[in-house]
Amino acid sequence: MSTTIIAEQQEEGIHSTLPQLVHAASVIGGECTVIIPGGGGESEASEIVGVDRVLKFNGSCFSVFDSQSWSSALKGSVGGTVLLASTPRGRELGASLAAELGMSVVQDVTSISEGINVERPVFSGKAIEKVTISSPAVITIRANSLDSAGNGGSAPISTIDSGEDLRMAVEEAITKASEKIDVSEADIIISGGRGLGDVSNFEKLEEVASTLGAAVGASRAVVDEWGLPHSMQVGQTGKTVTPSLYIAVGISGAIQHLAGMRSSSYIVAINKDPEAPIFTVADYGIVASWEDALPVLHDSIKALP
Amino acid sequence: MGPFELRTLKGLDLSGCTDIMGYEALDFYDVDSLLTDEELMIRDAVRGWVDESVIPKIENACREGVFLDEWRQEIGSMGILGAPLKGYGCPGLSYTAYGVICRELERGDSGIRSFASVQGSLAMYPIWDFGSEDQKEKYLPRMATGELIGCFGLTEPDYGSNPGDMVTKATEDGDSFILNGAKMWITNGTIADLAIVWAKLDGVIRGFIVEKGDPGFSAPEMKGKHSLKASVTSELVFQDCRIPKDRILPGVKGLRGPFSCLNNARFGISWGAIGSAQACYDSARSYALSRIQFDHPIAAYQLVQNKLAWMLREITKGQLLAYHLGKKKDAGEWIPEHISLAKMNNVDIALEIARVSRDIHGANGILDEYPVMRHMANLESVKTYEGTHDIHNLILGRHITGIQAFTKGA
Amino acid sequence: MKVAVLIKQVPDTTAKVGIISGSVDEGAISKWSISPYDEYALESALSLQSGSGATVVAITLGPERSSKSLIDAAAVGADELLHVVHDGALGSLSLQKALSEAVTRVGAEVVLVGKQAADTNSGSTGPGVAKILNYSCVGLVSRIEAGSDGFEATRSTPSGIERVSVKLPCVFAFDKGDVELRRPNVRGIMMAKKKPIERITLADLGVDSTGEGVSTTSVDYPPEKPEGQRFEGPDSAAEVATKLREEANVI
Repeated sequence: MSTTIIAEQQEEGIHSTLPQLVHAASVIGGECTVIIPGGGGESEASEIVGVDRVLKFNGSCFSVFDSQSWSSALKGSVGGTVLLASTPRGRELGASLAAELGMSVVQDVTSISEGINVERPVFSGKAIEKVTISSPAVITIRANSLDSAGNGGSAPISTIDSGEDLRMAVEEAITKASEKIDVSEADIIISGGRGLGDVSNFEKLEEVASTLGAAVGASRAVVDEWGLPHSMQVGQTGKTVTPSLYIAVGISGAIQHLAGMRSSSYIVAINKDPEAPIFTVADYGIVASWEDALPVLHDSIKALP
Repeated sequence: MGPFELRTLKGLDLSGCTDIMGYEALDFYDVDSLLTDEELMIRDAVRGWVDESVIPKIENACREGVFLDEWRQEIGSMGILGAPLKGYGCPGLSYTAYGVICRELERGDSGIRSFASVQGSLAMYPIWDFGSEDQKEKYLPRMATGELIGCFGLTEPDYGSNPGDMVTKATEDGDSFILNGAKMWITNGTIADLAIVWAKLDGVIRGFIVEKGDPGFSAPEMKGKHSLKASVTSELVFQDCRIPKDRILPGVKGLRGPFSCLNNARFGISWGAIGSAQACYDSARSYALSRIQFDHPIAAYQLVQNKLAWMLREITKGQLLAYHLGKKKDAGEWIPEHISLAKMNNVDIALEIARVSRDIHGANGILDEYPVMRHMANLESVKTYEGTHDIHNLILGRHITGIQAFTKGA
Repeated sequence: MKVAVLIKQVPDTTAKVGIISGSVDEGAISKWSISPYDEYALESALSLQSGSGATVVAITLGPERSSKSLIDAAAVGADELLHVVHDGALGSLSLQKALSEAVTRVGAEVVLVGKQAADTNSGSTGPGVAKILNYSCVGLVSRIEAGSDGFEATRSTPSGIERVSVKLPCVFAFDKGDVELRRPNVRGIMMAKKKPIERITLADLGVDSTGEGVSTTSVDYPPEKPEGQRFEGPDSAAEVATKLREEANVI
């Protein structure tokens, strides 16, 4: 069995998940080819241990993300099991390629073992589906679920030119870097309560939020007292939220607040009062003043690979 | 067991307090499985609307004492006003469907249900049943969409349970009637485009349609209510109010007119009260599962379980009562006493459930973070309007014994 | 213009999902609904209906109970209803083939679908159907507008949003848009009751549902989270950051 990885680009070069995909390829075994649609970051890719060759695809169709054109352009070079990152684009391209090649597709895999046996969350994480894959398929893998392959390889790089046409044109692109995310939509929420001491300290939460791509929420106490928008309020009379990560800063955890956030997948609480009820629902409770702990948390998050 | 071990309390099913994604309507006996597909779809549509448009806004509306105009528009566009009436742009649904609509609206707030009850049963119904063809065509299609709002003037400051002694009078004057008198406790009065006014013409009770802007008619809002705060309650004042002759409802004379309307409204209330009770039960259950005292959720204590079990018991009985009454109403096999029983019982248990639910919520129960105190205060009105609890007992007493006990020395 | 909307009936997002001996206990699911992203696709289709007079065909594939989602679609205005009746598991490829055949059968040049279903969370159907039909495909769409020569779609990108123009035929896979979903009214509900549902099988579409080399062996509850962990002092925040990445895998 062999594997083909379709790498994804991100602003700084190759997507950070590539070494994880190479690790998945090593579990499946056989020769591992990395395809880079549109090129960029090919030398990075060639240095990952376990990569046997890197194919850089050139062609006008790679100027715009167009899953249909891309899958048509790539199909001739794809063999064996196909791996992509489970990003929105990876999933779309993966599904398109699978249909192109007449294969099944298994999306958003979080664990992989020989066989090939994989696991993937379904029902928004309320259940885990175990899937056995017995013939070549397209598999997309959730970021940061698997170990990463190391560096130190030197796979040969070759270039393929594609004459495939784009099926769409970009009329206008709008960068939305600093747009505020609504708490009811957000996958990560950082919320503040009365323990922040002053409304101006919400700026500190905003900073962490922009690093994490998170929304900023608030307890009812501070929404009422400090005149924050009701749309930020998490709790009984505010929003009921279920993000994958909820960070409660200076929130004691009144029952009304807990009612709105206790179903979050993971909860971090920072509070200097060790008896604060918020700790009863926290997965990671940090007993410390937020002024001291939040900068450490922020810097540590920024320092993560 | 330490205070931080909630999430690991073994052997306790805490799934109820983690699954807080939405309102779960108690239906222990699957009574709703007896509804038709259309009735279920209407239920879901109204329930969804209440979730999106009432629940997030109701506390604020109550605080400000307003009925939001967007509620009028949205209820109108759902096409549920005057639910059981047929023709003239009315929905033509079953009485059971009308009951379901009332239940879902009142789960949000009794004031919202009151709006729909008054519009449909008390304003549209008398035009539909007793009005002239011209009156029906003029008013009903626009009332069904909520474009025109109606109200119902029967009760007077000094005549509540004995409307037969009303003093509001109509007299003929050429091509007009002249109305004099006052009505009180009139839901929708100030925001209404038209009022169905019951007044004595030559000593006989007749229905009149009075429009906003008619000379001598005013509808000042009554302020200071601790109940039904998101509903408009008004006085209707007639000082030589002149209306054209064609505004009299030709089809009815005497108390039969207003009482027919009230029968339909009371029917809706018997369902609506269940909605309030379900909301209070739902809040009590989820609160009891998440409130920790003495290291356990209070739901783990027998006294609380007893209260919850009692609520479930009464709601289930009330649901069966309402459903069966709906079927009887749809089949035309009903007497007013059937409705009295259901209205009286279901409002009574809903009010008691609201009180017990407030109790389970402890001090938190008085906050507007929870719906229970609001429902409780609302239900005090609901217990009194559309025939007080006691009057319904007397209606049943007369039915049982053949002896009326409304008046003394009769 | 015919617009096909592919809708899937899934357990309502508020319903509890129970698992019995390795599979989802469907009988215990209290409420089934149209998958939320599909609702945005349907809403956009209905806008095309009122804007450019498109005929909206709602298509679903699933067991008998899925008819309800077609009736729900009709209640908000879908013109035609097609139910591919199939009970039991179906591989992604067979599913996409069946839906592609169904689209061909109704003659739709525009296909709208949610970006992923709320049960499987996969997001393969839109792009897969597009490939099989050789239609263009735009994913993560929040809004579409009919132009003189095709469509303009707004889609999200890793850095923001972009507006792309695309010619027909095309599949659009919808994300949550900033539109308000229409609610059925009584009139719509009563009309929906009378609307016929065309019912066909995989065999009618010439699709074979035999194995694809991918099979679900079981569905289980996620492993229980470990008990809450406590850390003392501000410096412990660094350890928490690491655990959020390595243990919880949420950042």
